[in-house]
Amino acid sequence: MPRYAMAIDLSLCVGCAACAVACKMENEVPPGVHRLWIRERELGVFPDLTVEFRPEQCLHCANPPCVPVCPTGASYQTKDGLVLVDPGKCIACGACVAACPYDARYLHPGGYVDKCTFCAHRLEKGGVPACVETCPTGCRAFGDLDDPESPVAKALKEAGRVDVLRPELGTQPKLFYLNAPSKKGLSQEREVRHD
Amino acid sequence: MTEFYGLPNAGEFWHWTNALHFVLVGLAGGVALLAAYLHLKRHEEARRYTLWALALIALDLFVLWAESPARFRFTHIWLFLSFHPQSPIGWGAWGLALSFLTGGLLFLGKGPQRALAWAFLLFSLVALAYPGMALAVNLNRPLWNALLAGLFPLTALVLALALAALLGSPWAREPLRLFAGASLLLTALYPLTLAPEARGHLLEEGGFPFLLFLLLGLGAFQERLGPWMGLLSAAGLRALLVLVGQWQGFGL
Ligand code: SF4
Ligand code: SF4
Repeated sequence: MPRYAMAIDLSLCVGCAACAVACKMENEVPPGVHRLWIRERELGVFPDLTVEFRPEQCLHCANPPCVPVCPTGASYQTKDGLVLVDPGKCIACGACVAACPYDARYLHPGGYVDKCTFCAHRLEKGGVPACVETCPTGCRAFGDLDDPESPVAKALKEAGRVDVLRPELGTQPKLFYLNAPSKKGLSQEREVRHD
Repeated sequence: MTEFYGLPNAGEFWHWTNALHFVLVGLAGGVALLAAYLHLKRHEEARRYTLWALALIALDLFVLWAESPARFRFTHIWLFLSFHPQSPIGWGAWGLALSFLTGGLLFLGKGPQRALAWAFLLFSLVALAYPGMALAVNLNRPLWNALLAGLFPLTALVLALALAALLGSPWAREPLRLFAGASLLLTALYPLTLAPEARGHLLEEGGFPFLLFLLLGLGAFQERLGPWMGLLSAAGLRALLVLVGQWQGFGL
């Protein structure tokens, strides 16, 4: 069984949002909601400035808080580590939306909760997620964490620095950010709030 | 400065309709608990309150279904075709349904009444406990801390006892003051249990209504308007905490 994961090298990401657009098209994500978005932050003070482009989406947490809170079993984790929603069981109660620390989930106008699937439909056919395929800078790597030859395992190994969002919550994200531009690691809203 | 292409899905996910349910389910669970207790005490008002409990549970379950965007997909059946002991909402669904069933049998006088009354008590406790848990389990939401697991059952009892007092049951007055006092104490302490960031958010987003509901709660000790004040304060507080607590903090 693979253990799917993604890595995004922030030293290469230019925040062009090609991935976000590819996702919209591939998954027919309705207007107003997003499986994938880019957060852009200017950090530091002149002359020590940096900008962080950070694509965000479901991190397919290894310990996903969105799964146990689901009262119907619609939210589930697959054996290969994807966190998915079965619309046929979802009552749109929002418990999983409340539990996700990353704003990755939204209410689909069809009356169920939806989110990034790591393009499970593509993985089934041996492909990679649409966002990975489309990335013009090649900053996204995807694959099986347990396979040392997979692009994601290699990228993780070569990275100077690896971060995840809100690690203190114990969600064990499987979307890794490599080489964050700021010395402090991934930026947080509280850092830029005073602007 | 933070800018986006697209947006995180950070909008409100529980709206005023859900807040209404949080109030109703407090009433429903609280009144069910009262009714079960009255049955165990063989109190003459047991049947009357059982009927109230049944009506409130039914009303709440209707509101829950009616406000759900999944209502006409009829997926709610899965709540009862599965059991998810880690999900507070799962507990709530079973708690309310079984509470309705046992309460119904009691009202109809069918089955072993004593055992049913105990079961009714147990299930109504579950119904009473789950809403606070449904908030407190979300460790990512700084305002929904563990205190809510206590505050919600307490305010639910305030709601139920206030209703009982309004329905003219003299025995409701004294416990109403007791639980109103306890819930006010927790409410007053609540901001102090939050991290400064979260406290700031609470005061910024809901400081005025928070203070208002706290003050209204003090009115619960008053003779004539006490029950109304208790009712409004508990309901307002529950709704407010549901609405302003939908916040991730500044960690992203
Ligand atoms: S990012 Fe959110 S939706 Fe995705 S697995 Fe983690 S908690 Fe669940
Ligand atoms: S909204 Fe759907 S997937 Fe999410 S917890 Fe409720 S039933 Fe489960």
